[in-house]
Amino acid sequence: MLHLLKIDLKKMTSYRTFWVICGLYFITLGFSTASGMEILKWIASKFEDFGSSLNVNRIPLYHFPDIWQNLIWFSGLFKLVLSIMVVISITNEYQYRTLRQNIIDGMSRFEFVLSKVLTNLLLSVMSVGMLLLIVMVTGLIYTPELIWSDILVGTEFLLAYFIEIFAFLSYALMLGVFVQRSGLTIVLLMLSHMIEAIIKVNLFRESLNPSIGWLKQFFPLESITNLVPLPFARYAFQEIQDYVSITAVAIALGWTFLFNYFSYLKLKKADI
Amino acid sequence: METVLSIQKLTKNFGKLCAVNQLDLEVKRGQVFGMLGPNGSGKTTTLGMLMGVTNPSSGSFSWFGEPSTHLTRKKIGAVLEHPIFYPYLSGQKNLELNAMIKGANPANIVKVLDIVELSARKDDKYRTYSLGMKQRLAIASALVSDPIILILDEPTNGLDPMGIAEIREIVKRIAADGKTIILASHLLDEVQKVCTHFAVLRRGKLMHSGPVDEVGKGEETVEVMAYHDDLPVLLQEFIGSATIKKENGIFQVMMKDGFHSQDLNKFLFEKGIITSHLITKKKTLEKQFLEILAEAH
Repeated sequence: MLHLLKIDLKKMTSYRTFWVICGLYFITLGFSTASGMEILKWIASKFEDFGSSLNVNRIPLYHFPDIWQNLIWFSGLFKLVLSIMVVISITNEYQYRTLRQNIIDGMSRFEFVLSKVLTNLLLSVMSVGMLLLIVMVTGLIYTPELIWSDILVGTEFLLAYFIEIFAFLSYALMLGVFVQRSGLTIVLLMLSHMIEAIIKVNLFRESLNPSIGWLKQFFPLESITNLVPLPFARYAFQEIQDYVSITAVAIALGWTFLFNYFSYLKLKKADI
Repeated sequence: METVLSIQKLTKNFGKLCAVNQLDLEVKRGQVFGMLGPNGSGKTTTLGMLMGVTNPSSGSFSWFGEPSTHLTRKKIGAVLEHPIFYPYLSGQKNLELNAMIKGANPANIVKVLDIVELSARKDDKYRTYSLGMKQRLAIASALVSDPIILILDEPTNGLDPMGIAEIREIVKRIAADGKTIILASHLLDEVQKVCTHFAVLRRGKLMHSGPVDEVGKGEETVEVMAYHDDLPVLLQEFIGSATIKKENGIFQVMMKDGFHSQDLNKFLFEKGIITSHLITKKKTLEKQFLEILAEAH
């Protein structure tokens, strides 16, 4: 297993595009999630220019335990950047035909897919590690009255975040295996949510099928989005789901398995 | 001799096109096996199936007497069609990657780079290499695991005469080490110069398979010239002559079975004629190849 991961990393670590994209991902992820409070302060200062006041400390954006869901939901937006790296990594293998040579050299097709999946796992773990660090540092800075038990409330979102990233990277990998061209794959990847939304809107028109609305949660991209619900409505006095739903986790894990299995199936049957 | 590769009724269809048709073949240890055939005769498809990148439609093959798995492939060094490497990696890094996949000792890299004379350029990116260097790196990568078998598919394709000669030298050196080599090519001259055995494919079918030595056997043609007016008459008299032709002032005598140039020489000498030019012309692989393909019609 480790050997396969090393092989895939060896392909990447001398590839400048890999470092640029991953670097941009972690830097923008880090800075943007960590600087939310500064942005709030800036907004507050603008409010003061107009004579009204906004007490930023009354919005517990960075307070334990809210901070977990807030930052993790926001960080989820960046996974597209990481998934583009995954697409480039797999479509390069088709474009340069190195996939063919890897198999000739004695990799099995299963090992090849596994090496890519392992890299996806590593990238997901690194994202989680990054988030854990940012949450701990900013949470400890901004939480006014620290209650230690509050810190642990919401750590479940870290697990949900891990599944969210890994599921989406698995989806990107599968798309790359099927489409094989980097540009087209990236466009499809970016439009995926839109395409799924169009399908859902047409399938679940209230007038037609009022009773099957619950099926929506089983759609692949919807299932990934459902892992970490949008938290910010709570600051407008609305009820939100502030926990990770077991059903959502189960569905997302099911899709993750299928994405990777489909990649393998496609590769197994193909002449390369 | 130990059988290294055995192919039974191997077939590949691409839609309606039958690229490889019921192919049976055996390669034994130590052979340098040439696969001949016009472009599109199914050589690369066959090798692709042997190396696990093309799924056979039917039939089977075994390496070392066992069904093929990815583990068998690690023991084989193969370059199919053209060299394939990561363009953004250096030659050295590409070979390191090959060695990792094959589970080969990375210490071999220095050795194989030396064999193909690429040591000086090993740290340059692959995309900066010339075609000849790419072909040589491909041979290096095939050698990196010190394989028992080497598969080379058109290793001199697109090279200049010097490049061709270099690759041929490398192949000869490797063959001298006792490795089994399977060489697919449409360059007959190349196969005749380096191979011990050969097979001819045409439209996916095996037309012929046998040792290269046998190509020269069978009837001989002797080129003969002497400063003597009676030469044509005497050549007719010689009981070993089948046909006689005159080309550019030189007589081409096609010999009957069992007669050789020395018999003709002796006969002429006894008749008091001393030849000024006497050459035994064996049939070339090219001629045999064309004959085999012609028979197929």
